[in-house]
Amino acid sequence: MSLLGRSLLVRSAGPDFLVSPASRQKLGGMGTSGRRGDRVCRLIGLVGVVAFLATAFSPLANRLNQWAAVPPELAPSDAIVVLGAWISPSGMLSLESLRRTNHGIELFRRGLAPTLVLLGGARPGGPTEADVRAEQARLHGVPADAILTEIRAHTTREEATRVKALLQSKGARTILLVTNGGHLARARPLFERAGFAVHPAPSDTFVRSDSPEPRLDLMRLLVKEFLGWLYYRVAGYI
Amino acid sequence: MEATFIAALAGLTSIGAYYFGARTLGLSTAGLGAAIGKMLGSVGMILIFLAVNLATAVTVVLAVRGLTDAFVSAYVVDDAVWLGLSLIQGLAFQWWRGLPANPSAESAG
Repeated sequence: MSLLGRSLLVRSAGPDFLVSPASRQKLGGMGTSGRRGDRVCRLIGLVGVVAFLATAFSPLANRLNQWAAVPPELAPSDAIVVLGAWISPSGMLSLESLRRTNHGIELFRRGLAPTLVLLGGARPGGPTEADVRAEQARLHGVPADAILTEIRAHTTREEATRVKALLQSKGARTILLVTNGGHLARARPLFERAGFAVHPAPSDTFVRSDSPEPRLDLMRLLVKEFLGWLYYRVAGYI
Repeated sequence: MEATFIAALAGLTSIGAYYFGARTLGLSTAGLGAAIGKMLGSVGMILIFLAVNLATAVTVVLAVRGLTDAFVSAYVVDDAVWLGLSLIQGLAFQWWRGLPANPSAESAG
């Protein structure tokens, strides 16, 4: 019998990699009497390894993204609201920020709303994300008087409050809300609570990850958004 | 395509390592299951450290926000460095656990 065959027989005799004090003894580590916590560590490790492999080498992250994402409901509105993402201290917009900005500009150029609201603060010593986005929008033909910026909000909840104050004077009631599909699940109810009729406009509708690293990135984003949503639910914000 | 290539290559090097270990180094093939168990234990410990680190970081961020006027972004937890640090902590702790207990503590017990 081949070495590989013999090893498979050893492993198929039972989940010895989860307990097997005898095997541990052979390897000379971790004690001999099933040290407390060993089994828990191995189970957590097994779950972690399976989750890692399933995320990297299967379409699991894409499926979860499709399931969790809020679908677009594009309709003429009073304003397009583009939520903040991230900007470097040197003034370079993150990929996520660029994607949202471009989508907001595209919606404006399609004539879906007369006002484009761009959000985003600054890193210490750098320009604000909203101002850099506004410059991008002007370069792409959006008139300066159609652009509003908000630079003080730190969280999605604060963004909803600030945008409400900003658009109240304009009498805006309906908005196209631009952010990524996962974030919309948390952002939409916040803006609805602020008194807006929200039309979701996800910026990543066509994003698909077909190689391991982008799939792992997507899963990290989904987990982050789920935890954010959970925190907002527990805190009673949504 | 890329995922298949990576998985196939990792499979190939794993088989190569198996034959190298068993034939060239003379390692016990029966011990492979236990070795995988040790690997899973280490991964589990790293994940426990990761969870504790992230939970502590979020708690500190929320406490600073609640107790002071300063704003600290919760996205500080969204950094790959946590995984690297947890890896160092988890492996060190796991290897420490694997060492014989302190003789003085044993005699006291």
